[in-house]
Amino acid sequence: MSRARSGALARVSDALSKLLLRWYPLDFREEMGPAMREAYRDRFDDAVRERGVPGLVLAWCAALADAMRNGIGERARPSIRWRRSGRWGRDAERVVKRLVRAPVFALSTIATLGIGLAAFAIVYTAVSNVLLAPMPYDRPDGVYWVFRDYPWLGLERSSAAGTDVDALAQLDVVEHAAAVRPPRGVTLTGAGDGGAERPREVRRMVVSPALFPLLGVAPMLGRVFGPDESGPGRAPHAVLTHGLWASLGADSSLVGRSIRLEGQPFTVIGVMPPSFRFVRPTGTSGSQGADVYTTLEVRLAEADPQAGNYAALLRARDGVGRDQLEEAVASVGRTVDREHFESHGLTLSAVGAHEDLVRDVRPALTVMAVAAALLLAVLVANLTSLLLVRATQREREFAISRALGADGAAIARATVLEGAVLGAIGGAIGAGLAWWGSHALAELTPVTFPRREDLALDPAGALVTVATGLVLGVLAGLIPGVWAARLQLGSLMATANARSGGGRATLRRAMLASQIALSFILLCSGTLVVRTLDTLLRADPGFDPANVTTLRVPITGQRFPEAEDAARMQERIERALAAIPGVTSVGAVSELPMQGSADQRPMLFPGAPGNTGEADHDRPVVDVFYARSGYVETLGARVVEGVPFQRPHRPGRAEVMIDETLARTFFPKGGAVGRDIHINDDTATVTAVLRQLRQYDLHADGRPQVFLRGEDWAYETMSWAIRSSIDPSSLAPAIEAAVHTADPSLAVASVRPMTAVVEDALRERRLTATLVGGFALVALLLTAVGLFGTVASAILRRKHELAVRIALGANHGGVLWMLIRESARLVLIGLLIAVPGFLLVRRVLERVLVGVSTSDPATIAGVALGLAGIALLASYLPARRVLRIHPATALREE
Amino acid sequence: MDRERSFERFLPLRPVEFGILLSLGEAERHGYGMIKDAAKRGIVRAPDVGTLYRALRRMTDQGLIVESDRRSAHDVDDERRQHYRITPLGRRVARGQALQFAALARAAVEGGLLEGGAL
Repeated sequence: MSRARSGALARVSDALSKLLLRWYPLDFREEMGPAMREAYRDRFDDAVRERGVPGLVLAWCAALADAMRNGIGERARPSIRWRRSGRWGRDAERVVKRLVRAPVFALSTIATLGIGLAAFAIVYTAVSNVLLAPMPYDRPDGVYWVFRDYPWLGLERSSAAGTDVDALAQLDVVEHAAAVRPPRGVTLTGAGDGGAERPREVRRMVVSPALFPLLGVAPMLGRVFGPDESGPGRAPHAVLTHGLWASLGADSSLVGRSIRLEGQPFTVIGVMPPSFRFVRPTGTSGSQGADVYTTLEVRLAEADPQAGNYAALLRARDGVGRDQLEEAVASVGRTVDREHFESHGLTLSAVGAHEDLVRDVRPALTVMAVAAALLLAVLVANLTSLLLVRATQREREFAISRALGADGAAIARATVLEGAVLGAIGGAIGAGLAWWGSHALAELTPVTFPRREDLALDPAGALVTVATGLVLGVLAGLIPGVWAARLQLGSLMATANARSGGGRATLRRAMLASQIALSFILLCSGTLVVRTLDTLLRADPGFDPANVTTLRVPITGQRFPEAEDAARMQERIERALAAIPGVTSVGAVSELPMQGSADQRPMLFPGAPGNTGEADHDRPVVDVFYARSGYVETLGARVVEGVPFQRPHRPGRAEVMIDETLARTFFPKGGAVGRDIHINDDTATVTAVLRQLRQYDLHADGRPQVFLRGEDWAYETMSWAIRSSIDPSSLAPAIEAAVHTADPSLAVASVRPMTAVVEDALRERRLTATLVGGFALVALLLTAVGLFGTVASAILRRKHELAVRIALGANHGGVLWMLIRESARLVLIGLLIAVPGFLLVRRVLERVLVGVSTSDPATIAGVALGLAGIALLASYLPARRVLRIHPATALREE
Repeated sequence: MDRERSFERFLPLRPVEFGILLSLGEAERHGYGMIKDAAKRGIVRAPDVGTLYRALRRMTDQGLIVESDRRSAHDVDDERRQHYRITPLGRRVARGQALQFAALARAAVEGGLLEGGAL
């Protein structure tokens, strides 16, 4: 064989042996490759020598088959061995040890995660238990409220008439229909042994007997009302909630015994289970539950078809779809409209009970959920950056273990596990914080907040929090994990001198840019929500709540059969309250401002200049209140025209006060005072025009208001307002004592300052503002710390280069700018990403904002500038260190 | 006892592994040397390069053999030609495997599968 030919064959063999080695994984190749190539060369040499070219080809084929088999086997080996020997446990142990060795990193990361996840847990619990959980009724999807809408009056979600409920009950698609009166405070006496306990107010709901079968909830003790236990002359039976029963001593023998409501005996026939929850929607905001249920004393079919006095609740028959039910309800509405409203356009509409319950809080909870999700994203980005830094510190270790045969999965696992351990611990701490925090939150929410009692974190929520932490940690660990797994010793050596950071620096920058973007979105949302709260805090409610104390004293006709007795009792209460030292004036009203509920009646101004001849316009439905003389002065309401109710009351002359909106409609040029108004089949004379006392929203007028003289309607349970020259909070004992001097059997309920009543109306807004604002600040802090760290580590890395620059005469400003420029670019990129992100969030946000627009340029520009300023400051602070570099020292260190 | 047990977990050896230990039991050798040795013995089919080196790496990890510093005189200058040496553990494992084979062979004779003379 010629030398040239054997040389060519050797070259082919050598190339082939190189190719054969490609079958093996990198680590194996690096370790065994050189020796194997020698062995291949020997083997192929021998093959040629012994059997010529055919022998060599045979040897090539055999070597190829062998390499394929063993190469694949070797690649599969680590995963098989890893699965067999369960190295997860050992790795986890190692991760924990490493974290213990870096306590500052571990603690700060866990604390950040804990706080973030606690926020998540609280919002998650609220969203899941309030927005998502089904109502605790049998087949909850089949339960609907029916509301009257008066489109020509701009009134929606108004109460239905008794006749409506009666008509609805006749529908084929309806299994049950129940009428529910608004819950009212009544005085409970005579419960328990001897009835010697202090009178107190309980909330009573008067309902149709159909209510309980409709909800499909069975009593815990005794029974619920039978179908006939309603109407005139009905037996005085009462069903108690578990809460009231428990507060009366939780005595099961109470069933069958008698309690007194407003002095009237009622036999307790049943007690509901503790899980029973039922609230009636009242007007436009809030819902109210009751402590005790009794049945109607009237026949629904005989009720006034014009008067919306009842909330109507329906149970659809099984298999009846929503559309079918809505259509049937609407058809009843059309009949009512034709027969009683001269086809003005009255409609009846059915709304799912759950949907109705959460409609007011849905926007706020949605905003909180979005904010919590954004915060989680910031946490992931932040944790990713931190783990990336940690992985970078171990770059050499990874590359060397990789070269020594650790496969990529094993290295990725180390980082992912680190994230998972941190995430799970953070989740556990977050769940702990949230357990405490959600109880505080439940306290902070307004009492009208739906399902307020379900806001506390439950075990399922805690589990979800820990799992979320774990997933978040794994996600955050994956990016640095994949990066580390792809490290190769060769590439590390190649970049060792450049110290540029390469791929991981790009990753970190991406994380920081997304953190900046997310922070911007959160900060904009937070600022807008806080500005909304500010708008509301500045809003004029139409009265002056400072130094006013409120309370309620239930007075009903059952208790005082003669109207004069009731009137005299109101007088006595008024005198007793006025006699309290420090009290400057006393007034009373059927419903205080900001309660979100009122009776509604149609009214007429015969002969007013504003009448158009159209009945729609001339006969509006208004909010009706009963107010005693002194109320306007006590509350500090503003009188636009005329004189409010004066003492003494002259019987026989009915007086009303109206609000500005009503006066403007009917008397555009003024002159409402002295005119007659028709309401409740009565005629009364307007004595004054008031600024509207805000009843629903703090920032906007509600329905037109009419105040009837309370002295004429003595049976109303009055809420009292007391203006004092001393601190309202110190008045409570004196108030109770004063009411009891009038009559010791009267209950005194809800004694609290008017400022607290106003505050309650703001609670939900304040909560949203606190949570979203808090989330935004945490995001900002994390971002600032991230930028600080990046610039600081860049300076450490580039110290040598910087020293050279300074030594060559670069000015300090230029060098500083060079360092900050990077951050400036990240801020710019972040803000550019944030704009489309914010557009997505805007729509959710719009529904909770008042008096400020989502595209408010001042807010957006301010937040952008502020964020940029803080980001640059966070970069400038560490960058200043560069000025302390002494070129000679730095260069000598190298 | 402990020693006995400590090598038992390596048994049974694969043919290529027993071949390597057998080959290194005589002398330190490099990879291709072991292949040639096995071919010379001819008891089992000689392993190919890949099979051999995978086994070498595995057995090095297990501590049955070690890489040796020694070079044979003619390839002193060849850095890539890695030699291997058997460890005491490797020797015990090989011995244990051989004893097992012997016991099996005796059992085969007693069971009539094998002529007595074959031993």
